[in-house]
Amino acid sequence: MNGRHILFAVASGALLPVIAFLVIILWMGFWQGNPGEPVVYTLAHYRAILTDYFTYKTMLNTLGVSSISVAVSLIFAIPTAWLVERTDLPGKSWVFTLMAVSTLVPTFFTAMGWVFLLHPRIGIVNKLLMSWFGLEAAPLNIASIAGMGWVEGLGLSSLGFIMVVATYRTMDPALEEAGRVHGLKMWKTLRYVTLPLTFPGVLAAAIYIFTIGLSAFEVPAIIGMSNKIFTFSTFIFYKMQPLEELPSYGVAGAVSSLLIVLALLLSWWYFKVLRFASRYAVVTGKGYRPQLVELGPRGRLCAWLFLGFFFVVAKVLPFLLLVWAALLTYFQPPSLEALGQVSLRNFYGLPWELLLAGARNSLVIMLTVPTLTLILCMAISWVILRSGFKWRLAFDGVAFLPHAVPSIILAIAAVFAALFLLRDTVPLYGTLTILILVYTISRISFATRIINNSLAQIHPELEEAAFAGGLRVFQVIRKILLPLLKPALVYAWLWMALLCYRELTMASVLVTNQNNVTLPMIVWGLWLGGSLNKAAAANLVILVFMLPAVLLYMTFGRRSRFEEAM
Amino acid sequence: MISVAGVQKHFKSGGQTVAALKGIDLEVLKGEFFVLLGPSGSGKTTLLRCIAGLEKPDRGNIAFEGETVFSASPRVYIPPEERQIGMVFQSYAIWPHMTVAENIGLVLTHGQRRIAKSDVNKRIRHVLGLVQLDNFENRPARLLSGGQQQRVALARALATNPKFLLMDEPLSNLDARLREEVRGKIKKLAAELGITVLYVTHDQVEAMVLAHRIAVMSQGEILQIGNPFELYRAPKNSLVAEFFGSINWVHGKLLDQHRVETEIGPLVVESYNGHTGPVVVGIRPEDIKLAASSTGGENRLEGKVLSSAFLGDQVIAEVKINETTLTVKAMPDDQKRVGEISVHFPKERIVVFPASAPVREAELQ
Repeated sequence: MNGRHILFAVASGALLPVIAFLVIILWMGFWQGNPGEPVVYTLAHYRAILTDYFTYKTMLNTLGVSSISVAVSLIFAIPTAWLVERTDLPGKSWVFTLMAVSTLVPTFFTAMGWVFLLHPRIGIVNKLLMSWFGLEAAPLNIASIAGMGWVEGLGLSSLGFIMVVATYRTMDPALEEAGRVHGLKMWKTLRYVTLPLTFPGVLAAAIYIFTIGLSAFEVPAIIGMSNKIFTFSTFIFYKMQPLEELPSYGVAGAVSSLLIVLALLLSWWYFKVLRFASRYAVVTGKGYRPQLVELGPRGRLCAWLFLGFFFVVAKVLPFLLLVWAALLTYFQPPSLEALGQVSLRNFYGLPWELLLAGARNSLVIMLTVPTLTLILCMAISWVILRSGFKWRLAFDGVAFLPHAVPSIILAIAAVFAALFLLRDTVPLYGTLTILILVYTISRISFATRIINNSLAQIHPELEEAAFAGGLRVFQVIRKILLPLLKPALVYAWLWMALLCYRELTMASVLVTNQNNVTLPMIVWGLWLGGSLNKAAAANLVILVFMLPAVLLYMTFGRRSRFEEAM
Repeated sequence: MISVAGVQKHFKSGGQTVAALKGIDLEVLKGEFFVLLGPSGSGKTTLLRCIAGLEKPDRGNIAFEGETVFSASPRVYIPPEERQIGMVFQSYAIWPHMTVAENIGLVLTHGQRRIAKSDVNKRIRHVLGLVQLDNFENRPARLLSGGQQQRVALARALATNPKFLLMDEPLSNLDARLREEVRGKIKKLAAELGITVLYVTHDQVEAMVLAHRIAVMSQGEILQIGNPFELYRAPKNSLVAEFFGSINWVHGKLLDQHRVETEIGPLVVESYNGHTGPVVVGIRPEDIKLAASSTGGENRLEGKVLSSAFLGDQVIAEVKINETTLTVKAMPDDQKRVGEISVHFPKERIVVFPASAPVREAELQ
């Protein structure tokens, strides 16, 4: 067995579980039984969900939240991208940095902040509005489809920004200039040239964001579940871990299967639009940058107000609310009286033993998952781009699946496999190992894409020269490819480490005990248990733990890489 | 007429300020085909973009037929859409989401120089006819070949009957054969329409074929303006001389107005009004004459052919005189293949520059 065979084996070994997970989910939907009992196959689950009014309501909720989140994120993303790419706004690199860091702020974090702001019972804004205008009922309700879409959209707007910026950047600026020099005024050029040309790119971004919204878990879990508003992901979660009845794996499997079909269709559409968009992309060899629109002092002020409003609403306000909540034993709007009750009691009262266990587990995950993923994806990328293997496109396709399939479904498949298939052979259920494995699989798409992009820019002759010089494939990888790929790998490692740290969706299904508890799960546990203020305090604690990694990321993760990854 | 006076432009890149234009003065006459020629980074495209209004100079004035379109102080800036120009971009900038007719029609229906709705189709057909793209109206733009896109770009630029046509390396993305063909057509069309053309290129052959006058640019400055013949035969400095074809440089010392003592021997030159002292003497390879036997006389030196290459229409020979090797282009039958030879330097073909002239600098580039 030579090096090439080993690379093939590693790549296949990494991708087989992906296919296995999909098969398991489909199978789950037809399956009925309990551990150790004989299995019965049935269509009952599909019949149950398709005849249940609740399924349709959940679907409407999900579509509503996703659509609103697309609208909200693009309303912020498109003007911001235009300001950064086409105007002389000063301090653009700061906008990029803030956007990158915003993406790292856990969504459950901002979701909690918004509950404190707009919850009908405790939300500060509602209380203020009620007292000012003498209202009987709360005018705003975050625990609604619109509210969840708003919070989700704010969280996804930095992603939307990055994608829209990319569309602007790949567009030949001469296309706009050709309009200007031939007599089109700026807004006409915008209307007839810029907008139609960026439309496919923006549509692709919208589909991408919609797909993410469709399977989003954190916002519905923090805001919706306690108010009995379910989306697909929380519905699946609820079927896996109901409070009163037994888990209903069959129903979860059936709903997941439907969701997978929907997600794959959306991904297909996404790629179709993206291919169409790439027809418009022109890479010019020109050394000049497009002439930037001069904003002038008033335009600049408006731009900063707009950006400031966005960052305050999306990040600063929720953060301040969490800090305020963390300092109080029960939540109340700021007042002199409330100020007198400020204390660190919540922090003393936190389950520190559990937090330390969670910190230890999270640290292990942050170190192992990115490393393992990069090793596997190096092999996958090599097969896709360098092996000349006939089925390499199949590898590419399978490597994309973990991105298309909602991550909660990957976790469910893993739990099901651990409970019913591997129970007697490999005890994985409730271990830290199963978290590491599922996290790794879920990151395959991202890492493969990053490595593919970088590897495609390395001329194969660099490796061929080494082969000609007598080096073997692993030596070539170690001596030639790894050094050349190093910046991309370091970046991808840090990014994945941070995403693993804040991961809640898969953990919500996979974490079952203190041995594999993670920090976000502890926060969520406190939240679900009704200790909102303690949850806020715990949130601040895990944010502090996260800071060193974020600083590392900001040092190494340059702006260009961040865009490439999206 | 386009008048450019004292135009300066600086770019900031990576914290450093780079001077792209260091004070440009230029007049393009009505109906003239004027070429800006220079290597990449010489500022020629920046100058064109300043004239188009796509870039704002830091200093100076630009006027179209006496009407100021840009002035640094007092501040005047007419945006590109208000200037009477048509422009062909290097990338052609054909809008890929439209048909050929829509590419031209958008300008005619929504531009600042729009025409009556009823005339639009006629005008589109007319300009497409000018570039020999009849019946291409409904072709989607992204299905056009490079050459066709180039012609649509030209048609669009001409659609509004602009006074000035600006072209930014319009042929550089075409393959060599097509380039020659299109070059001829552009020249003919410009002459027929009598339009004033400002044309940017880095290709000196293209410039010489097309231009009435050429401005040679280097590092943000204009080195010389003149017609092709003047630039070739009477370059003002060694950079211009080198830009138009190859040239042999020989170091020497100016003795008086007509005599130079050089590394290869004494040479007589046409009157040179410089200070006596170190100079460089230049002569183009095709201007050096070879003869089998010496007849003696002015500027005839003894040399030795080191090697020669037969190229069919000409012979390239390396000729050594004293310790200096010169390149000579000779007719295929007027030389000895290798060995002793007589070399003639016609004095009217010799150019002389002070030795401080940037010969070395040019070599370094």
